[in-house]
Amino acid sequence: MSSATSTDASLRPWQFFLLAGMLCATAVVIVATGQSPASIVILSITVVTASFVALAAYRSLAPLVLPESLLLLPSLFGGRTRAGLEREKTLVLRTIKELEFDFAMGKVSRSDYDLLGGRLRARAIGLIKQIDAGAGYRGVIENELAARTAGMASTAEHTPRTTDDDVATIDDGAHGLSPAITACASCGVSNEPDARFCKNCGTKLAA
Amino acid sequence: MASLGAFILVLTFVAAAYAAGASVAGARRRNNRLIESGIGAFYLVAALLAVASGIIIYAFVAGDFSIKYVQRYSDSVQPLFYKITSYWGGLDGSVMFWVFLLSVFGSVAVKVNRERHRELIPYVVAVTAVVEMFFLFLMIVHNNPFETYLTESPTEGRGLNPLLQNFYMAIHPPTMYLGFVGLTIPFAFGMAALITGHLDDSWLRAVRRWTMFSWFFLSFGLTLGMIWAYEELGWGGFWGWDPVENAGLLPWFTATAFLHSVMVQERRGMLRVWNVSLVILTFLLTIFGTFMTRSGIVQSVHAFGEDPELARMFLTFMAGITLFSFGWVIYRLPMLKARNELESWASREGAFLANNWALLFGAFFVLFATMYPTITEAISGERLSVGPSFFNKWMTPVGLILLFLTGVGPLLAWRKSSLPNLAQQFLWPAVSALVVGGVVVALGVRVWSSGICFALCGFVFGTISQEYIRGANVRRATSGADLLTAMVGLVGRNKRRYGGYIVHVGIVLMFLGFAGEGFSRDEQLLVRPGQEATVGDYTLRMDALRVTEDNQKQMITAHITVKDADGQEIGKMYPAKWYFARHEEEPTTEVAIRRSFAEDLYIVMPAFEVKEQSASIEVHINPLINWIWLGFAVLALGTAIALLPESAFTFAMAKLPAEAATAAFLLFTLLGVPAVVAAQHMETPMTGGVVVRSPAEKSATDKLACWCGGCSKLQVGSCSCGHCAIVRKEVTTMLASGKSEDQVLQHYVAQNGGMHVLTEPPTMTFRLSYLVPYGMGMAGLLVAGFVAVRWSRRSDAAEASAARNSAPSEDATLATRLDDELRDLD
Repeated sequence: MSSATSTDASLRPWQFFLLAGMLCATAVVIVATGQSPASIVILSITVVTASFVALAAYRSLAPLVLPESLLLLPSLFGGRTRAGLEREKTLVLRTIKELEFDFAMGKVSRSDYDLLGGRLRARAIGLIKQIDAGAGYRGVIENELAARTAGMASTAEHTPRTTDDDVATIDDGAHGLSPAITACASCGVSNEPDARFCKNCGTKLAA
Repeated sequence: MASLGAFILVLTFVAAAYAAGASVAGARRRNNRLIESGIGAFYLVAALLAVASGIIIYAFVAGDFSIKYVQRYSDSVQPLFYKITSYWGGLDGSVMFWVFLLSVFGSVAVKVNRERHRELIPYVVAVTAVVEMFFLFLMIVHNNPFETYLTESPTEGRGLNPLLQNFYMAIHPPTMYLGFVGLTIPFAFGMAALITGHLDDSWLRAVRRWTMFSWFFLSFGLTLGMIWAYEELGWGGFWGWDPVENAGLLPWFTATAFLHSVMVQERRGMLRVWNVSLVILTFLLTIFGTFMTRSGIVQSVHAFGEDPELARMFLTFMAGITLFSFGWVIYRLPMLKARNELESWASREGAFLANNWALLFGAFFVLFATMYPTITEAISGERLSVGPSFFNKWMTPVGLILLFLTGVGPLLAWRKSSLPNLAQQFLWPAVSALVVGGVVVALGVRVWSSGICFALCGFVFGTISQEYIRGANVRRATSGADLLTAMVGLVGRNKRRYGGYIVHVGIVLMFLGFAGEGFSRDEQLLVRPGQEATVGDYTLRMDALRVTEDNQKQMITAHITVKDADGQEIGKMYPAKWYFARHEEEPTTEVAIRRSFAEDLYIVMPAFEVKEQSASIEVHINPLINWIWLGFAVLALGTAIALLPESAFTFAMAKLPAEAATAAFLLFTLLGVPAVVAAQHMETPMTGGVVVRSPAEKSATDKLACWCGGCSKLQVGSCSCGHCAIVRKEVTTMLASGKSEDQVLQHYVAQNGGMHVLTEPPTMTFRLSYLVPYGMGMAGLLVAGFVAVRWSRRSDAAEASAARNSAPSEDATLATRLDDELRDLD
């Protein structure tokens, strides 16, 4: 965004170009007297759009020539910003909710609910971890990766296909499908490993 | 002005080429500056095209007839609105409009997704820019809208085709293009995912909204097209299976299939190859549609002779895209393996698979039948056409299957539905279908397709109501709100699903309208002032035939009084023919329609004699047709709900007290009590009207396809153009002179030198080609079955790997946090 290229209170590029465009449009209106009102309106709109051309041209040339300090280039390639992660997390949380709802409506079988739910929870937790780690999560992942590849040779084939930037892929691969499941002592229903109370009968589960 | 426009086009081409080059180079060399610059150039394309559009619109409004395009599609007396819409009235301008929209869409998509899908963006920019380059190239070398007359320029334009001077036609192309163009964005993201290898589901999330948005505009465009055909063409129907209509329907089928199968990938990690292929296919079909409607290939393969360059360019481009995109799919096949397997056909995945099969079959059938004349001409040299009846025969079962699946899908569970589960879910919808079916039979409806359609509508409606009510009950149990408020909350919490159900309600209403066509009836009358005729429950009295004029056209209008079954006057109707200046040879038919939810009374006047004050009028009674438009409104509402941003609804819900929905509903019901229609006075009838068409004439004229060139092969029996009115008269005379139907048909085949004048091919060999759709359908079924079997086989292996893969238990503190957040979410 070129509006972000200057941080002080001075004129920003888009403001400058829009202003110039409007001035030109005014000039055109004065020059074009005698034409029908509709033509004049369209002509001045066209002139204002021309200012976007100038802005876009600036936008495409500036990254090539301006010094690094004046450019607010986005963080490293592949780095997802916090907002993106937050949005993704909300999405996963909503999917979990939806699944719970389906289960309550009697549409999803229990085993399916456990499997899908477990996978989604794993994904959500991965995202929470990334958000916590902030910009430095790259290192966290790399450490974890190193630990895993060293520790579990058998999982080697499931380690990420692209080792570079795709966090989501790493996440999928690392957390795998279903976390371990604990069964309720009184009713026998299987619960998530982190559950403190049984989701069926409400009995407190052994830690 | 014109040279500035042409220069801008060249500049735009350069900018697009730079955008594509810089982003690919930047992505490969990991150079952020290059990528940013490429994105800037991508925006530049949109800005430049906006200026070019401004220039051409200015030329139209100011009446710069030295530009050929302006001269051909406008004149000085045209209203301002149509002057502006003339921009997309012809080929050159519509190509420019196409690229303009694409550049705007692309820019918005890039801007919105820049942060979230940073790794994909350079390739999204590159792919979109390449598509833009193709159309820009087309414009620069072949269809330049800024081309001027070299020597003396005319002082007056030829005017926009009168048929297009209709409000719906003015806004129909932009909506259609919005749909077409919007579908390029999913393609660009899909390709970017393939190229970068980031094939997790994140690209799907980026394109889901775009697909839904484009799908909506495609539906909107198709509906507008139907309304236009219904109101402007005057043959009493709304869908003639015309190649141009079909071109819009093809990507609609595949986009619908994609919108459904994408859920399977999100939920179950299956159908990955299929989804990418669907996106590519949809894009190819949009390009093919543009090509098909614009190159004239369907009218005749000899259109290649008329414009071989355009056809060659399009074909090269399409072949290039096909090779490139499917090449990438094949290259990435190992990464596209399904994560899960199909466990049972009685699962939602299974239903989606069936739905995809039906939709794809529909698409390929329509493609085949649309290209049929071209295919037969290429093979045998004889040009044969298939009429609307052929399409209807085939598409009715496909439509019914889809309608049935609409009702079945939501009832099935993911993975596997157990038997008690199925019984519980299907009980009420099945009861509702049986009740509706019973009522239909009891009422004596004998049109099987319509009867089944009504029953299925009942079934789907039962399913959707059950979904809503059960969902609301579950929600009520947790939130304590009343049923209706719980329902609103339900929609808010899962807008995609419940919005989708509302879309389904819209589809059901549209199907009601389609089913109504089975009961439509039409009559042809020859009337003079004072004469009366009865059609169905209506009695029509011709009052006068008047000739009037304004500065654009001459209008011949019949004044007709309509009375109901009790003889009470219920209104006056004015069917007309308009002769636009400089387009006298193609008069437009102005239809008079009296609308109601039960049926439309639809009157056109194909022919008249001013001297004798007689008019030959056609009266159509179209039951339930308005439900189609109403259905579209509901569909729009559903799509809007599904597309609504998360925050908007959360905000509304936070402000909404419990019981609010019920109160609002009651208020609306009180306000919505329908107004009472006032009765009118009676008049004494004078003489009876003359009904002119016998069953034999009807049968013969229905077997002939209009060959006037402008009516897209409507049946002569129902076409309202002047040419067909003459043919109908000829047929009447020939039959009266003792000729058989076959002789009559032979006469026209001989007269026109080919069998293209028939709606159905006459010989057995050609009927054999009708088997092709069967073959395609079976092949599709086999592929679906094969996929399913392969999925099931993978079951064991997948289970084993899942077991191996299961991670140690979650971090307890994080899990607690997750639970808290989940609780806060609602």
